[in-house]
Amino acid sequence: MITLENVSKTFYTKKGQVDAVKNVNLKIKKGEIHGVIGHSGAGKSTLIRCVNLLERPTSGKVYIGEDELTALNKTALQEKRKKIGMIFQGFNLLKTATVYDNIALPLQLTGVAKDEIPKRVDQYIDIVGLSERKNAYPAQLSGGQKQRVAIARALALEPEILLSDEATSALDPETTESILDLLLKINREFGITILLITHEMHVIQRICDSVSVMEDGEIVEQNRVADIFIDPKHPTTKKFLNTLNEEQINQFLLSELAEKGSVFRLTFTGATTSEPIIALLSQQYDVKPNIIHADVTQLKDGVIGRLVIHLDGDQSDVEKALTFLREQGVGIAAWEVA
Amino acid sequence: MERIEQFIEQWLPYITKASIETFQMVSVSLVISIIIGIPLGVLLVLTRPGQAWENNFIYQVLNVLINIIRSIPFIILLFFLIPFTKAIVGTTIGVRGVIVPLVVYTAPYLARLLETSLLEVDEGVKEAYQAMGIKTHQIIWHVILREARSSIVLGLTIVTVGLIGATAMAGLVGAGGLGDLAYRFGHIRYEVDVMYATVIILIIIVQTIQTIGNKLAAYLKKD
Repeated sequence: MITLENVSKTFYTKKGQVDAVKNVNLKIKKGEIHGVIGHSGAGKSTLIRCVNLLERPTSGKVYIGEDELTALNKTALQEKRKKIGMIFQGFNLLKTATVYDNIALPLQLTGVAKDEIPKRVDQYIDIVGLSERKNAYPAQLSGGQKQRVAIARALALEPEILLSDEATSALDPETTESILDLLLKINREFGITILLITHEMHVIQRICDSVSVMEDGEIVEQNRVADIFIDPKHPTTKKFLNTLNEEQINQFLLSELAEKGSVFRLTFTGATTSEPIIALLSQQYDVKPNIIHADVTQLKDGVIGRLVIHLDGDQSDVEKALTFLREQGVGIAAWEVA
Repeated sequence: MERIEQFIEQWLPYITKASIETFQMVSVSLVISIIIGIPLGVLLVLTRPGQAWENNFIYQVLNVLINIIRSIPFIILLFFLIPFTKAIVGTTIGVRGVIVPLVVYTAPYLARLLETSLLEVDEGVKEAYQAMGIKTHQIIWHVILREARSSIVLGLTIVTVGLIGATAMAGLVGAGGLGDLAYRFGHIRYEVDVMYATVIILIIIVQTIQTIGNKLAAYLKKD
């Protein structure tokens, strides 16, 4: 649905040349939610703005479906953009218009039939759950409600694609959850392909099918979300994964344990989540597993279990145990003491 | 009491006539200034670097031109423009003769105030509409001018008050008005009462306009 081919974007500023996006290739299938994660300044915002040409790539091609966006003239591009919705961190609503008018105006301006407009506006206000606040102005709404209006505004044009530029970054955790649920709902019910950018691993974990990790203008790792949880390769990816639940683990305890044995982080998916692998471990091998931390994470499709475990035993026994775990499809990473 | 009645009887026709002249001068030149000033202000914003119609040449020319006109005091502009006025309206005296200099004086001022108002409109909102495939001229009207409307009303209020001030000098080309009345009768013929009466009327008019402007702007603001 969305294809980026060797997309680069360079800004020329007074301070010199900034390569914000370097040679990015990306393919997103129809109906999928793809997340791009990176720290601020990684170029992810520029990247998403290249998709609808709010930022024209310095080089490379952007395809939406079969059409090459980068080859279209102004009028054809405007026509195509009507089918690419976008939501923003700052909501970008008209302050002078009510919820209803904020959704109705783009419909009116893009030539939707007059008698069709009220029906559509009501339908999408209902989907985002704001029927009660139809006549409110943005200033009277909370951040989460404003983002709902922005989502309804984008959906009302019935796009095939939704671009989300840090849509939950300005919201509190609880509101973030509800907006993520809403994005998941519109992806499932309308089959809308979503490309989102974020700096929170939590967002990727909750709603994305696949993920690209971006650093310094480049995509350094790209995979299915479940696979990236089991087997992260790039250090940046590992760092982002560590941001989930890390704070609950006692670092002091860990460094003490690491002195007399080894600490590992194990990741379970699919079938392995339901088997008593750790029990088998102590029965079959001469190691004493000690569970330091355990959690279960709900992904868009499926569950990921994570264990931080201390293995006490001979080096060779530990190795054998690890081999056994690998054979069971468990992801293993040695714990690096911070 | 008797004195007041006598004053009213003697001066009311003059004051009424002068008020009508002031009203004509202000309203006609305000309308024409809006017609010229608003597109000028829009152009001044949209030709800036990074905006939809980015064009440094047009931007710089407009910028310098507006600065030049705004440097000239109205009383000088009034005489400086005589040939131009004559060419456009065929006369340089009376209400008709003063409209041209009033517009030349006001329109660039309005454009400048508008520029400030329009620049306050959030870039993100414009971008959101661009991303929806909305055409630039639709964005100007439905997004930029709409979002700036409260600030535009305040600008128009300032311009109107300024215009009333400028019309006081219109008497110099025989256009009459309240300012002229105060000057001719109040100052030259030592009719102090006439001076006071005109000043009070002007204060009331300006207060009323400013109050209406503030109220309207507050109503339009919504945030």
